[in-house]
Amino acid sequence: MGIRRHVNLGSYALGNVLKYGPRSAVLVLALMFSTALLCSTEFIHEGVTVDIYASASESPDIVVQRLEAGRQALVPQQWVKNASVVRGVRLVTPRVWGYVDIGGGRLVTVMGVNASVYGLAFGAVGTDVLDGGRFIQPDDRGKIVVGQGIVDLMQNAYSPVTIGVGSSLGIVAYNGTTMEFEVVGVFSSQARVFSNDLIVTDLQSARDLFGLLNASGFTDLAVWTEYHEDINDVAFRLDTRLAGSRVLTRDAIRDLQLKAYGGRAGAVALVWATSLASIVLVAFMASSAASDEARREVGLLKALGYDTVDVIEIRMFEATVISLFGASLGVSAAVFFDFVLGAPGLALFLLGWSIPLLNNGIPLAVSAQTIFTAYVVAITPVIVATVVPAWRNAITEPDTVLRGV
Amino acid sequence: MPTTIHVEGVWKVYGAGTPREVVAVRDVSLKAGPGRVTALGGPSGSGKTTLLCIMGLLTRPTRGRVFIDGTDLTGVSEVFRTRVRRQKIGFVFQAQYLLPQLTAVENVALPLLCTDISRAEAEELAEERLTELGLGHRLHFRVAELSGGEQQRVSIARSLIRGPEVLIADEPSSSIDARQTADLLAVLRGMVDSRGLAVIVASHDPRVLDWADHVYWLRDGRVVEAGQ
Ligand SMILES: Nc1ncnc2c1ncn2[C@@H]1O[C@H](COP(=O)(O)OP(=O)(O)OP(=O)(O)O)[C@@H](O)[C@H]1O
Ligand SMILES: [Mg+2]
Repeated sequence: MGIRRHVNLGSYALGNVLKYGPRSAVLVLALMFSTALLCSTEFIHEGVTVDIYASASESPDIVVQRLEAGRQALVPQQWVKNASVVRGVRLVTPRVWGYVDIGGGRLVTVMGVNASVYGLAFGAVGTDVLDGGRFIQPDDRGKIVVGQGIVDLMQNAYSPVTIGVGSSLGIVAYNGTTMEFEVVGVFSSQARVFSNDLIVTDLQSARDLFGLLNASGFTDLAVWTEYHEDINDVAFRLDTRLAGSRVLTRDAIRDLQLKAYGGRAGAVALVWATSLASIVLVAFMASSAASDEARREVGLLKALGYDTVDVIEIRMFEATVISLFGASLGVSAAVFFDFVLGAPGLALFLLGWSIPLLNNGIPLAVSAQTIFTAYVVAITPVIVATVVPAWRNAITEPDTVLRGV
Repeated sequence: MPTTIHVEGVWKVYGAGTPREVVAVRDVSLKAGPGRVTALGGPSGSGKTTLLCIMGLLTRPTRGRVFIDGTDLTGVSEVFRTRVRRQKIGFVFQAQYLLPQLTAVENVALPLLCTDISRAEAEELAEERLTELGLGHRLHFRVAELSGGEQQRVSIARSLIRGPEVLIADEPSSSIDARQTADLLAVLRGMVDSRGLAVIVASHDPRVLDWADHVYWLRDGRVVEAGQ
């Protein structure tokens, strides 16, 4: 068939979109809203996911915790020895963790490690120290390396402070006194949520901060395996060897985090937004005012000699124009809402308690797949809701359709 | 190519088997040929519109057969019937069925958009038709902004835009004045005589019935009288 006819039908459909302005506008707005909701949720969800994967790549192969009556308890000194002799274990360092206040109520994480061992673990978080600085050394006391996020945080503070190698940082200890630390290095990290605003120091300094006695033990053990070993096998051996332990592999930690941070919230919101959009649209398009007019139009076109495929082509075109436009507005709105405004409200809903720990903003990521999904989710219900009734009317006798009986 | 439509023993029953059963057309046979005006007369509710719909392939008879140029089109596919409507038939509907959001020109051009004529050409032809019918000053008014008589003439222009071989017109003069009716009948007569247009018209208007070559009178769905 000639191209002219398609051009005619397309321009007729476009005319319809413009002429039925209020109707089109309602649809575009509904689509914009649902797409924006879906995308801004997905950007956060995806940001968190990307972050968790980045963080997993910086974390030890295995983390060993101790459970006492089902709750996490401190790991005794003896476990460091016991773990290091397990077959397949390459490095073990005990760690001491905690949240501290670095002024103005901003909470960051401090991790104390055994510098001589930890420094050997290639790619471990905190070891990628930027030029001009260094990692903490075995005899260091009161020295810290800080994530780039800490530098940014202090720079953007109410009274800005520039943090760099050689500067000192006051950290509020367990008893409310402020302890001064010297920054010896700044590290960069891919993972925004978990390590960008991390502070790494030696075990003793961390203990002092948290008020832990020497003998009381550690928060957990970080374990790296021999390169040829299967991590799960080593984890199994550790588990058997250390009674009362909880042994988590890197993958297990990642999965736990994916679940805790928005994995489920994201999926739920996605389903919710999708179905909301479909329901609203289908309900609207089935509403008598719009559908009555549309039905009469189809009856007339058929009476005038339009083929069923012509009618469907017109409706497809209308639906596509409207939904592409609505979805594009929605994606743009989501980008603005998330990246410019920082997703007020939504971020809190999705990430919950972790928000106060995200000193440098929520993690965000956009992928082609998300955008594609958003468009598909916007376009499909509109096309179905437009084309199906049009098709049914188009295959019915024109007289019946025109009279509306 | 001149076209003949004839129906043989057609019935149309609505709501068969229900308490609201209506026999709108019963056992009608008639023929409408090229170069002639065939009129349907009769009281309101006698089945004129229904019969026009059957002859125009807009609905199928409950019983009986519809022929166009001797071919039985009663049972053929909707696709085929649609093509015949597109290629041969122009309609003036009793209820007009104009699209109120479109202008007069756009409404008239509508039957050409599903063909391979460009939109610009189609609208040019539409303007000519509308001007012929005295609507040159209302070309780009939206139909909702036109008077009843003006709308009726838009609808007539639309029925003629593709140069049909058969014109099926349901009460085409119901909203226009005596002067415009006379003009319209003259225009149509010109087409009937010059290129053998077949006109099938339903009307209460004595001027239209007098003007026809052949009148079938209906009552309760039956032809009760036929005359020249
Ligand atoms: N779709 C339908 N469903 C049920 N009954 C119908 C339907 N169409 C027409 N009828 C009935 O068929 C009968 C004939 O209707 P039709 O419209 O053909 O009459 P008409 O002669 O055109 O009348 P008028 O001069 O008022 O236009 C009427 O009694 C009407 O109620
Ligand atoms: Mg009628």
